[in-house]
Amino acid sequence: MTRTGGLPGRVLIGPVPGLLGIAAFLGAWEVAVRGGLVDDRYIPPASTVLVAAVDYLDDGVFWRAVGRTLGAWALGLAIAATAAVVLGILIGSSGVARRATHSTIEFLRPIPSVALIPLAVLVYGTSLQSTLLLVIYAAFWQILIQVLYGVQDVDPVASDTAVSYRFGRIARVRYLVWPSALPYVMTGLRLGAAVALILAITAELVIGGGGLGERIALAQSGGALDKLYALIVITGLLGVAVNLVMRAIERRALAWHTSVRGEVPV
Amino acid sequence: MLRGTLTMTAALAAAVLTLGACGGGGDDGPTTEGGKTQLTVGVIPIVDTAPIWLGVEKGFFEDEGIELKLTKTTGGAAAVPGVMNGEFDLAFGNIMSLMVAQDQGLPLKFVANGTTTSGQEGKDFSGVVVPKGSDIASPKDLEGKTVSVNNLKNIGDTTVRYVVEADGGDQSKIKFSEVAFPDAPAALAKGDVDAAWILEPFLSKAVAEGGTVISWNYVETSPQLDIAGYFAKNETIAKDADIIKKFRTAMDKSLEYAQANPDEVRAIVGTYTEIDEPTRAAMVLPKFTPDFDRDAAKLLGDAAVKYGTLEKAPNLDDLLP
Repeated sequence: MTRTGGLPGRVLIGPVPGLLGIAAFLGAWEVAVRGGLVDDRYIPPASTVLVAAVDYLDDGVFWRAVGRTLGAWALGLAIAATAAVVLGILIGSSGVARRATHSTIEFLRPIPSVALIPLAVLVYGTSLQSTLLLVIYAAFWQILIQVLYGVQDVDPVASDTAVSYRFGRIARVRYLVWPSALPYVMTGLRLGAAVALILAITAELVIGGGGLGERIALAQSGGALDKLYALIVITGLLGVAVNLVMRAIERRALAWHTSVRGEVPV
Repeated sequence: MLRGTLTMTAALAAAVLTLGACGGGGDDGPTTEGGKTQLTVGVIPIVDTAPIWLGVEKGFFEDEGIELKLTKTTGGAAAVPGVMNGEFDLAFGNIMSLMVAQDQGLPLKFVANGTTTSGQEGKDFSGVVVPKGSDIASPKDLEGKTVSVNNLKNIGDTTVRYVVEADGGDQSKIKFSEVAFPDAPAALAKGDVDAAWILEPFLSKAVAEGGTVISWNYVETSPQLDIAGYFAKNETIAKDADIIKKFRTAMDKSLEYAQANPDEVRAIVGTYTEIDEPTRAAMVLPKFTPDFDRDAAKLLGDAAVKYGTLEKAPNLDDLLP
């Protein structure tokens, strides 16, 4: 909350190096293609791709595809986050449960979500559930692991204090476990948000059923290279936007965190 | 240990089941409402499926009391599972894929034809291309070379093996490598493969870029070879015989209309694919005809058994309408 008080100069400097980096990347791309370093039959120059990307801005079909992808992303992430937070707190609060589930979690977690595509197609076909299954599976573990770490990070002194004040289960979770775990939850959410977007687009690309991934597959199978690369650039921008939003949420949710810690001598 | 595992499994299963309850792939069979029967058909957005899109636009399906819902599947991967789990009443698929499915015991059968080779060498939508300057001049030269196909153990490698053998070459010495059609011209130019099996619209493009077609593999296998069609579960065909018959009537009409109006085919392809106008104008179209050619299908099936793609020769009565 105190961040808004920065110097105006810093605000200007903030995004400038990043934008310069992007400009340099686009310039290198353009030169590489125009100069014949890369065959323009397979990669169109950056300028052509940017024109194609701008053309998409007033295309209703394109925006519906974006809506489908972001819808699957948001819904999948919400379900994964809810399940991971609830299960994470339940499991993390009990040493027995933690030990009992450890090997199962370590077994299930590394299974790549894309390996579930055949299962998703068999059970849900090309419907939204197919995409959701992959998104949820990928995001769930990222968040769950962080919640588990977060729950174990409760300060023992605070924990003992809660015991002396005879906190009930609910109060313990509300005033002790949740605030301690929140920074971890936020990290988990940010990681989960990124993989959720990747999986939403992958699922649409491989299975179909709509969304940006399907547009990419269509552009590829139609040989429309400028549109293909334009869509890839757009999905990249979407990733940046998702990350910015998640970081903003993180900053808001944890605004109290450092200040509170700073004032309380442990 | 066990209890924890069970809890986790139960929780996951509950999550999956909750999703399942939201609907989706479960509705079985065509549904009738207000005199119109709704049919869902899974189609790949390629030139081959132009007649069904055209048929919807021209109202051929509506005339039969069918409300057709076309769902795009990005590849063939979702077609067979989609029909098996009831998400689609019908789907578009190639004849070899269905022979393989039947070989594995899946109760599927074609209801209507989809695409057929044009039957003309030098003017078909499928060919084997070699790059400029290649010393491969005829199919038998493919012996010992690497050829790209979009899928292994399917119609591409089977027909290529067949034409190589017919030309006097040893088909067992061909190496096949999986490359998607859109990537095949690049793989060919880079020298990753010695020859590429390519379909339109990429075939015309590869030829325009200096490639040479050394085999029109579909035509050379049989000038009457049917490539793909629309299939359903045996259960649907038996239970909803009447509506399947109406679908066939409308589909046959669509195929004949598409065959008679190539310009409309080129135009409608632009509505459901990203193929640009110049490419659509230049590409060679398949033949669209209602009747399956059994002799050509038998030849393909026998070849597939010989090359190990199939365990046993397909029963054409169970496969074709």
